[in-house]
Amino acid sequence: MISFIKHRYISYNFSLTLIIISIVSLSLWGLKLGIDFTGGSLLQVEFPSGRPSNQELQEVLSPLNFGNLLIQPSGDSDVMVRLRDLNEDEHQQLLASLKAKYSDISEKRFESVGPTLGAELWRKALWAIGVALFFIIIYIAWAFRKVTRPVASWKYGLTAVIALAHNTVITVGIFSVLGHFWGVEVDSLFVSALLTLLGFSVHDTIVVYDRTRENIFRHSVESFADTVNKSLNDTLVRSINTGLATLLVLAALYFFGGESIHFFALALIIGIAIGTYSSIFVASPLLVDWFKLSQRK
Amino acid sequence: MPNNNKTHQPDNEQESNSPLAFLKWISWPLVKLGKLMFGNMNQRKQMWYLLVGILAMSLFTGLIDWPKVPNWVPGTSFWNKFNVQLGLDLQGGSHLVYQADLSGIPPGEESSAVEGVRDVIERRVNFFGVSEPVVQTNKAGDNWRVIIELPGIKDVNEAIKLIGETPILEFKEQAPVPVQPIDTETDARERADSVLTDALKPKTDFAALAKEFSEDEGSREQGGDLGWFKAGVMVPEFEQAVMELKVDQISKTLVQTQFGFHIIKKTGERQIAEGEQEVTEYQASHILIKTPNVQVGENWQATGLSGKQLKRAQVQFDSSAGLPEVQLVFNDEGKDLFGEITARNVGQPVAIFLDGVPISVPTVQQAITGGEAVITGNFSLTEAKQLVQRLNAGALPVPIHLINQQVIDATLGKESVEKSLLAGIIGLLAVALFMIIYYRLPGFLSVLALSIYTLITFAIFKLWPITLTLPGIAGYILSIGMAVDANVLIFERLKEELRAGKPLPHAIEEGFKRAWTSIRDSNISSLITSIILIWFGSSLIKGFAITLSIGILISMFSAITITRTFLRLLATGKFNQLTFLFGVSKKKLAVQQKVL
Repeated sequence: MISFIKHRYISYNFSLTLIIISIVSLSLWGLKLGIDFTGGSLLQVEFPSGRPSNQELQEVLSPLNFGNLLIQPSGDSDVMVRLRDLNEDEHQQLLASLKAKYSDISEKRFESVGPTLGAELWRKALWAIGVALFFIIIYIAWAFRKVTRPVASWKYGLTAVIALAHNTVITVGIFSVLGHFWGVEVDSLFVSALLTLLGFSVHDTIVVYDRTRENIFRHSVESFADTVNKSLNDTLVRSINTGLATLLVLAALYFFGGESIHFFALALIIGIAIGTYSSIFVASPLLVDWFKLSQRK
Repeated sequence: MPNNNKTHQPDNEQESNSPLAFLKWISWPLVKLGKLMFGNMNQRKQMWYLLVGILAMSLFTGLIDWPKVPNWVPGTSFWNKFNVQLGLDLQGGSHLVYQADLSGIPPGEESSAVEGVRDVIERRVNFFGVSEPVVQTNKAGDNWRVIIELPGIKDVNEAIKLIGETPILEFKEQAPVPVQPIDTETDARERADSVLTDALKPKTDFAALAKEFSEDEGSREQGGDLGWFKAGVMVPEFEQAVMELKVDQISKTLVQTQFGFHIIKKTGERQIAEGEQEVTEYQASHILIKTPNVQVGENWQATGLSGKQLKRAQVQFDSSAGLPEVQLVFNDEGKDLFGEITARNVGQPVAIFLDGVPISVPTVQQAITGGEAVITGNFSLTEAKQLVQRLNAGALPVPIHLINQQVIDATLGKESVEKSLLAGIIGLLAVALFMIIYYRLPGFLSVLALSIYTLITFAIFKLWPITLTLPGIAGYILSIGMAVDANVLIFERLKEELRAGKPLPHAIEEGFKRAWTSIRDSNISSLITSIILIWFGSSLIKGFAITLSIGILISMFSAITITRTFLRLLATGKFNQLTFLFGVSKKKLAVQQKVL
């Protein structure tokens, strides 16, 4: 049996470091929001007879005076152009100036989002996360309503939510770092990944708590810390295997699923890895500490 | 171990009260049917029948999933009836969001005004010949929106032009003292002539001229470019002129139409496939010098009757000669107004203006009070249809503007489908390999169960039907991971029970019982977030959340029905001894039992 509870300060330190890094990164650099949230345009164009350099494209497009242009190569022969939101006339002008220089190009994707729509979506995303958290706390408190000794049922719910906040902050923090150094953007798909992770991370934590609940009934003689530690060991293989199976699927999505869900898959991979870790090393040890704290009083 | 049964009591209670009891109901008919038909049969036999049921379901869903069932299978046409509905991101197309400007609409009537916009856009879009357009209204806070999805349409410029920003339809009558426009018409001709002389000079930049002189606001900024059009779209004089020109040629003389004088440059001609037929399309630029009687308000005055009061217009055929004519139907307010206007204008023309340009000037024969009018004239069918289209287009009750557009090319969509399919297959294979290596025999069974799970889920997508988007496919693939979890939970419990020295059949039942509460509790939290995603989501995210939710529900069903049936069938005497097939070695067992 591995003594997770005994060595919990190692994982506490590790988690705390990650959280501090995340919070620092978030407050320094924030997130790089995609056009979904800020408003703006995205144009993907294919150049079948060779892709021109970014600089050349800048020169072709700058006379249009559409403000700041971000030009990135994509795939084998595509180019992505990001710029402010365009109306249809401006969109056609953009295409026309490209076609004047490169006659055989084809437009593969164009998106334009007005700024008010973007702000609205961002508000809605924050709301969704808030509502999800609320229902999850209610649900866990309900699911553990019969467990009142030695720790009250709502404490299970709250520690599960603390673990969940831990996972979310670190995932968002990593994306803040990715955004700052590698220009990774956060779009509405990222928000769905986060919401999915909320579900998943509670999912993992619940399995361990479920086992704790059962072991409390069965082995009432052991100390609470021992019971929790036994439960962690009982569910360890399950936690790792489920995490692995899900990560296998997500890795396939990441490597083969195409560019548009690349970072969606990455967010889930990071989140599930952290979620599996925290269900073992954070959520249950916290429950034990809370119990000890209330004992001392 | 008598303690065990006791402690388990509360769990069972909870189970029957839980919101997921319906999962039991799903499998209940199968079990019950078995019991009814083979009432005095032992449990093992029932299991066999359940297996037959599962196999039949796999066959049924498999045939539905199969993209093209070959002819030798009975009922081919039925199986091939179901198609996968692909979202715009996978099949290519345009997604447009318009915001309605309701500042001129009294409070309380917003909803009906926006519904009106939707109806108008629906009519316009239908003229476009898109296979399955979606036009829906949406309210976000105080913002009213119309969302339009046009599958297969890539040339969004054309679509946006057609949907139109705000064409205004007005009915006008003649002012009491009509101004004679003859002088100004000559003036227009002179101006047009001088532009034509410039245009015909060699090496002249036609687009620059158009930008400077053209009075057509729609095309001036594009250097007079009108885009691609088919025969029958432009007024006949214009079309005639374009057809006669060669590509890159400029008309030698002025072309006069109802709008004024045109100088036309043909810029392209191409053949495109339209359904089965080949159709010729033309591209042209023009410089328009408007003739004065066309300029708004010269000798026409507003009547107060506008597109707001027009209910619809349609083409019909005059009963005696079979000539096409255009029928107008007004709403109640329009009916009264139109009655008054026609009553005071018998024998006089009443003009119908679209964006300040008269599109039809019929003469009133008699007062019309029934709210329906017929415009007759020497229409060709194409002209009549075009007029109807314009009239319907003009009936937009409030201004709208485009706030969001997404255009995805079909090739990009196809790429996404292929890539995500590949990712799904690789992911499934990797998980299958992992399960078999780690859990051996039960792992193999769970892979079978997982395969059946993917068949059932995909069949549900087809039958419902669920519109599959790229995130939707991701949700589906992700749900495979969830389905694995249920199996992992069960097998870990099973191993535990085996290690505790229980005989296989007993271990299987206990393993299921104990794993079930975890499966149930943990999946509910995932379902909660999925449901919130469905509520929060734009269409793409909804697609993800819906497939994930269906996946979660079916995965629970597959774990407690399919995997369990497979395992129970294996719990016979022979396998009892072969615990290594379940990943528990005899040696370890012996050691553990000594320790205990």
